[in-house]
Amino acid sequence: MKLSFGWPRTLASRLSLIFLISLVLAHGLSFGLQFYERYQSAMTLMLGNLERDLSNAVAVLERLPADERQAWLPRFESANCRYILGAGETGAPMNMSNAPMSVHSMQRSLGRDYALTFTDIPDTRLHYQAHLTLKDGSPLTIDMHPRVTPLSPWLPLLLIGQLVLLFVCTWLAVRTAIRPLTRLSHAVDNLDPNGEGIRLDEGGPTEVAFAAVAFNTMQQRISTYVKERMQLLAAISHDLQTPITRMKLRAEFMDDGVEKDKLWSDLSEMQHLVQEGVAYARSMDTSSETARRVDMDSFLDSLVFDYQDVGRDVQLNGKTGAVIDTRPHALRRVLVNLTDNALKFAGAAEIHVQTHADQSLSLHVLDRGPGIAEGELSEVIKPFYRVESSRNRDTGGTGLGLAIAQQLTIALGGTLTLTNREGGGLCAQLKLPARIATGAVKITDI
Amino acid sequence: MEHVDHILIVDDDREIRELVGNYLKKNGLRTTVVADGRQMRSFLESTPVDLIVLDIMMPGDDGLLLCRELRTGKHKTTPVLMLTARSDETDRIIGLEMGADDYLVKPFAARELLARINAVLRRTRMLPPNLIVSEAGRLLAFGKWKLDTTARHLLDAQGTVVTLSGAEYRLLRTFLDHPQRVLSRDQLLNLTQGRDADPFDRSIDLLVSRLRQRLADDARDPAYIKTVRNEGYVFTYAVEILGDSR
Repeated sequence: MKLSFGWPRTLASRLSLIFLISLVLAHGLSFGLQFYERYQSAMTLMLGNLERDLSNAVAVLERLPADERQAWLPRFESANCRYILGAGETGAPMNMSNAPMSVHSMQRSLGRDYALTFTDIPDTRLHYQAHLTLKDGSPLTIDMHPRVTPLSPWLPLLLIGQLVLLFVCTWLAVRTAIRPLTRLSHAVDNLDPNGEGIRLDEGGPTEVAFAAVAFNTMQQRISTYVKERMQLLAAISHDLQTPITRMKLRAEFMDDGVEKDKLWSDLSEMQHLVQEGVAYARSMDTSSETARRVDMDSFLDSLVFDYQDVGRDVQLNGKTGAVIDTRPHALRRVLVNLTDNALKFAGAAEIHVQTHADQSLSLHVLDRGPGIAEGELSEVIKPFYRVESSRNRDTGGTGLGLAIAQQLTIALGGTLTLTNREGGGLCAQLKLPARIATGAVKITDI
Repeated sequence: MEHVDHILIVDDDREIRELVGNYLKKNGLRTTVVADGRQMRSFLESTPVDLIVLDIMMPGDDGLLLCRELRTGKHKTTPVLMLTARSDETDRIIGLEMGADDYLVKPFAARELLARINAVLRRTRMLPPNLIVSEAGRLLAFGKWKLDTTARHLLDAQGTVVTLSGAEYRLLRTFLDHPQRVLSRDQLLNLTQGRDADPFDRSIDLLVSRLRQRLADDARDPAYIKTVRNEGYVFTYAVEILGDSR
């Protein structure tokens, strides 16, 4: 269904709109109908009374002696009509084709016995006079102000009250219906296959409870599946360590030669793969390290010094003075993996740090290596993916380094983006959320 | 007769312990191999050894438990080198916490094990530490700083982590192990170079100035590490072993 005219985007406002329009329409119709009905009956009642009053009044006036009539007049007066002895006011004769209902009532009650003439009196509302001549020849004017009993003043208030009630109830109903949906989509959004995501409350109306149970089960299943996969990887990697250790030890008893060197490098490669496999499996597990307040400058300094002390070309640019809440081992692992990567492909790495206005922290690991083809940028962070140039070169690698970095970055609540630099080389940007620790924390808290 | 170092190897994997034993023997050490904690205990009853190589993952009493036992018993001065299968921080931290002198990650090269054994022996002989950090205290307090010896970082008065590079940690640790005692550059170089055997491009002087910076120590009027002209350096503060902060 494609509706182009300002149809609101959210389900909540659409439902509200439908409910409100239909309820207000239905309510308005029934209110109008009732109002019309009531008006009709009031009108009939008033006209009936008018007819009886008129014939009674005129009959009584006929019987009274002419000099007593004036004294009786006030007794016949009502809200609608007044009696005047005399010709009354002059005015334009009434257009009888468009005469009000009360004129017809007058015709019905008096028209048979008297000749009636009607004149309009200019006034703010309907006002006319009827003229007739009594049997003794004296003129009588009936001054008419016909009106139906006015609407009670509280009726509009009641209507407003009802409308307000409608609004409130619609809002409540829509909210009740939409809320579980919002929570569900929020939960799906925050679905964390590695750990404990948000568990939905399994209470509430049957349908909602059912959806919540289904979601929780699904989340559980995904989490179990991922965990199993990781445990499998960890177990295989771990159990390989003993045979590799034996082989390495045996290799050392071999006579020196090309074969020994080759075996040795194969074993080292296997060992590296095994260790990376364990590390990757573990990178999903965020519970192994608690967050601490870390002085960022000394953290980066020591990282860079550790590289420089073994003769690697790693430089640090920028100082932040920031103290952030983070898991230092995980963060170090991320940076080490990125830096190792840069060293592998470019021989040198540069770490650049800066804080942003929103207090988030950006760490760039830059190199001047060959970079990565644009199409492969999003692929390289997948486990066991290796770029073509990496496979052909002796650099080898397990294809897990960036995947580990990516996993750990997510676990740290940050983002890892790879881009090619202008002028060649790769830029790995690690963005950490604004969790700059402020104020002193007691030692017992950490 | 020249003293030959006696190494006791405890590993549940027969092949590994025999291969290691043979390699070390070939390289001039005396070795004994045992399969578990029970055998280790009964062997130590009769024969003192110079160093114990202890595997962490063993059925029955594991290496961590045995290491703790050694540290509280009459062999508490015997150096222990742990073998661990896990490369991440956890095992290393626990191992060092239990009082191991060094650790090596499996799979390892036999020649690296030999180098580590020699480094640990040299270190413990050259300057037996005044301070034995046992599991009772993994925090060393001095001045307004604390050093976490397992996580290998400094904590300031607010508990903020100030990270140290590997070389910085080893240097500081050497100072803390021998406080208020003048250490020559040669001694410092030897003591800090122990593990990993980094090609030590940087002189001790540069490392000291870096360490002073970490400790927020004024280089012109240092409070923590004072220069002793023509002799070396001295760590001026008293060091206190604190209990676990966790």
